[in-house]
Amino acid sequence: MVAIELDGVRKAFDDAVALADVSLSVEEGEFFTLVGPSGCGKTTTLRTIAGLSAPTDGTVRFDGADVSDTPVEERNVGVVFQSYALFPHMTVAENVRYGLRFTDPPRGLTADERVDELLELVDLPDMGDREPDELSGGQQQRVALARALAPEPDVLLLDEPMSALDARLREQLRREIKRIQKELGVTTVYVTHDQEEALAVSDRLAVMHDGGVEQVGTPVDVYERPATEFVASFVGENNVFSGVVAGREGDELAIEVDEKAPAGHRFRVAAAEDHAVGDRVTFCVRPTKLSPDANANRVTVALDATEYLGGTTRLYGEWAGREVVLRLPEPPDGDAIIVGFDPADATVL
Amino acid sequence: MSQSLRQRVEAATLPAAGLVTLLLLTLLFYYPVGRVLSEAVWRAGAPTADPLLAVLADPFFFGVLAQAAEDPAVLWTAIEPHSLRLTVPLTDLGVALTYPFPNYRLGLFGFTAYQALLSTLASVALGLPGAYVLARFEFPGRRTVRSLTAVPFVMPSIMVAIGFIATFGRTGVVNTVLTSLGLGRIELLYTLPIIVIAHAFYNAPLVMRVTAAAWESVDAGTAETARSLGASPRRAFVDVVLPQLMPAILTGALLTFVFSFMSFAVVLALGGLSLATVEVWVYQRVTQLDYETASALATLEMAFSLVLTYAYLRYEARQRAGSPARPPERKPLFGPLDGDRLAVWAYVGVALVVFVTPMASMVLASVTGPDGFTLAYYRFLVERQTTGAAFQIKPLTAIRNSLLYGAGSLALAVPMGVLLAVVSTREFPGSKLLDTLSMAPFAVSGVVVGLGLLQGLVFGTTAFGYRFTVTGAVAVVAAHAVAAYPFVTRNVAPLLATIDRSVVESARVLGASRIRVLLDIELPQVVAGVLAGAAFAFAISVGEFDSTVILASGSAAYTMPVAIERFLGRRLGPATAMGCVLLVVTAVSFLVIDRLGEGRGM
Repeated sequence: MVAIELDGVRKAFDDAVALADVSLSVEEGEFFTLVGPSGCGKTTTLRTIAGLSAPTDGTVRFDGADVSDTPVEERNVGVVFQSYALFPHMTVAENVRYGLRFTDPPRGLTADERVDELLELVDLPDMGDREPDELSGGQQQRVALARALAPEPDVLLLDEPMSALDARLREQLRREIKRIQKELGVTTVYVTHDQEEALAVSDRLAVMHDGGVEQVGTPVDVYERPATEFVASFVGENNVFSGVVAGREGDELAIEVDEKAPAGHRFRVAAAEDHAVGDRVTFCVRPTKLSPDANANRVTVALDATEYLGGTTRLYGEWAGREVVLRLPEPPDGDAIIVGFDPADATVL
Repeated sequence: MSQSLRQRVEAATLPAAGLVTLLLLTLLFYYPVGRVLSEAVWRAGAPTADPLLAVLADPFFFGVLAQAAEDPAVLWTAIEPHSLRLTVPLTDLGVALTYPFPNYRLGLFGFTAYQALLSTLASVALGLPGAYVLARFEFPGRRTVRSLTAVPFVMPSIMVAIGFIATFGRTGVVNTVLTSLGLGRIELLYTLPIIVIAHAFYNAPLVMRVTAAAWESVDAGTAETARSLGASPRRAFVDVVLPQLMPAILTGALLTFVFSFMSFAVVLALGGLSLATVEVWVYQRVTQLDYETASALATLEMAFSLVLTYAYLRYEARQRAGSPARPPERKPLFGPLDGDRLAVWAYVGVALVVFVTPMASMVLASVTGPDGFTLAYYRFLVERQTTGAAFQIKPLTAIRNSLLYGAGSLALAVPMGVLLAVVSTREFPGSKLLDTLSMAPFAVSGVVVGLGLLQGLVFGTTAFGYRFTVTGAVAVVAAHAVAAYPFVTRNVAPLLATIDRSVVESARVLGASRIRVLLDIELPQVVAGVLAGAAFAFAISVGEFDSTVILASGSAAYTMPVAIERFLGRRLGPATAMGCVLLVVTAVSFLVIDRLGEGRGM
């Protein structure tokens, strides 16, 4: 069942268009992520769902009902902000209890019982009497989450809730958020600029760019079958090539790329869709798919820089005047390497 | 259902409170000031320009400019060099102090602007070195000195005037010292220099405050970069630091000019009618019941100060004081005496004389009689209370009135000020309009507000077939509230602005209405600012003189500052004693402000 639906939402600020034409639907109980670079409109989209930002055009529906004109305090959403936004003059328990002033706690609980329950849930029992500024960043974030969940919202909205935390804590907390979300089954929209995080936590995600949605899909969909060049290069590392179809053999295309390759050089690429000779196409090859052991599409890459990442090595190299990124288990010897890729490992966009 | 009704009521609360504030502003400020205006441009049911033209064409008010309309040649005679200097003989001192004094052809307006200009120059000259010391030197008590720069805002002007008389008057401290050294006397009372010094006393701390704040936010890296590129220290200062300070210096100077232009009590007490400014003359006309000339003068003055205040606000809004990457380092003040420190100590000496002597002299004078130490003046205050005639000013009544009006103004100014602070930092329908309307009282002098309230409310007004009149006491409280609420706003608004927007939004998301967010989340975080604003409001009410003296005339609604002025007409002693009482009340208010509102607001 569709829990949240955005239909043709546009948002124009005085000097710029923040959202061009966004249509999305989020399923009941789903962990849905909006991911994209800063300024892509993901936070504006979240604020539109929350009712903190009124759309210039378009409709927002919760469970099929138009809520475009419903004020924020009546939408029954929970929001966690990047800055946590704890009320500094209230204790942890008072923060969590605040939303219960406006609605009754669920299942006939008292407000105190509900607060204890939620502090238990976010793994901060017995911290109720602390002041917010006595807590670490990670603890503050859990309190903000507990506060958002206390009134049992229909929708949980998380706006880059972890970007102020260090990397290790972030990974730990995102697992915890995911666990809590599954436990409660609450429909969740999560905003992040970190594509790796988006792949890790989401049931589905929307990749946003320049105020519009580029692609919506499961993490595997988006990673394996990027719909646009932007998605291909934004989600994970990628080598994107453009060229012209010079011939075809069965379900494989022979493509002459735009780079100044040696004369007659063609890449063989598996294509699901039909492409005629002379069509312009774009395809991409993940760095992990470029291997010295592959027999097809072999090219010589001059190495510029290596980054040893522990367990794997990232190599930046040059082929035909363009950058190529590789991932190999071990740093190779020498300053050039010959790699190739299986035609089936390339993705035509 | 009841839930949604409550929510609807709550949603309407903030706009309703805005409406009430707007009504109060109209009643307490716009209507009275409008009455003054209409007196100047309306006669017998028809618009007229006569009163304004009469003032504009009178050389007494506009000097040579008034005549220039008929005969432009007079402009040349106005700048005869020999008429531009006036020499004050310093009796027996052997030196003659000469200072530039304008040709009488400047007229009242010209003279007012001229003294404001001199006062501005003096304030900047006295304030800038202080800003340098505060920003670049470290010494014990620096923070205290810094917060003391806010004192002039709560200093009753008439008390400052008493202090200056006790210092520079015929038998004042300075002359006592000079005669005991066998140097003779100087006569500064009723001269321009004492007015200029008193205005500098008032405004130099303001210049100091804004400039020091700007100086502290200059990134040390900018000057160091200039030095690394080859600039000398002086060059780096002139090229890189000074341009960053300039907006603050100009802001301080512009405000000083406006304040000095509209200054009343200081000029009345130290200059008298011979050195009257526009403001004093408006008061003089009111006491002569010549409301038409008073209104015409007030209207022209208002137009002038509104333009200046608008310029100030526009200018101030363009400045953004951010916190620098790295503030400039401070040098210890106590260290080997180099050129820098020597200059600083010399300045500290001058500053002590200007800022400390007047108040110290007042206290001293209140306990010094012809035969040394005496409590006679305080005894006089008590005796006057018990034996004074009905028409005489009674000290305890004045004290009681002051405290009562202070409490009343506080009760009115705090809610107004807080609401306007919310308006100025948050958006809701009509907030822009209200914000703009609320700034106007800043540009209108106390005498004009007093005159307007006198004509509009005390004399009574007819509306809907009823005649409304208001007693002097209520009008005084109204005038004080109008003078005080901007200080509440300026103490609360910066704190409100620092509250993370997402904190407010979190509360909204959890179901709180706009007014609940204000009460539950925002106000608890700005309590210190509200209390500091309340103390400001109280102190301003207790010290207010300009409108009170008009509204209390001939009634029993007089306050401590009015009592001081009345006593001053007789002898200095009782006035200084009353001044000391006022000083104590003001000092307590300031301590409250300082404790609660450290480094914020004005």
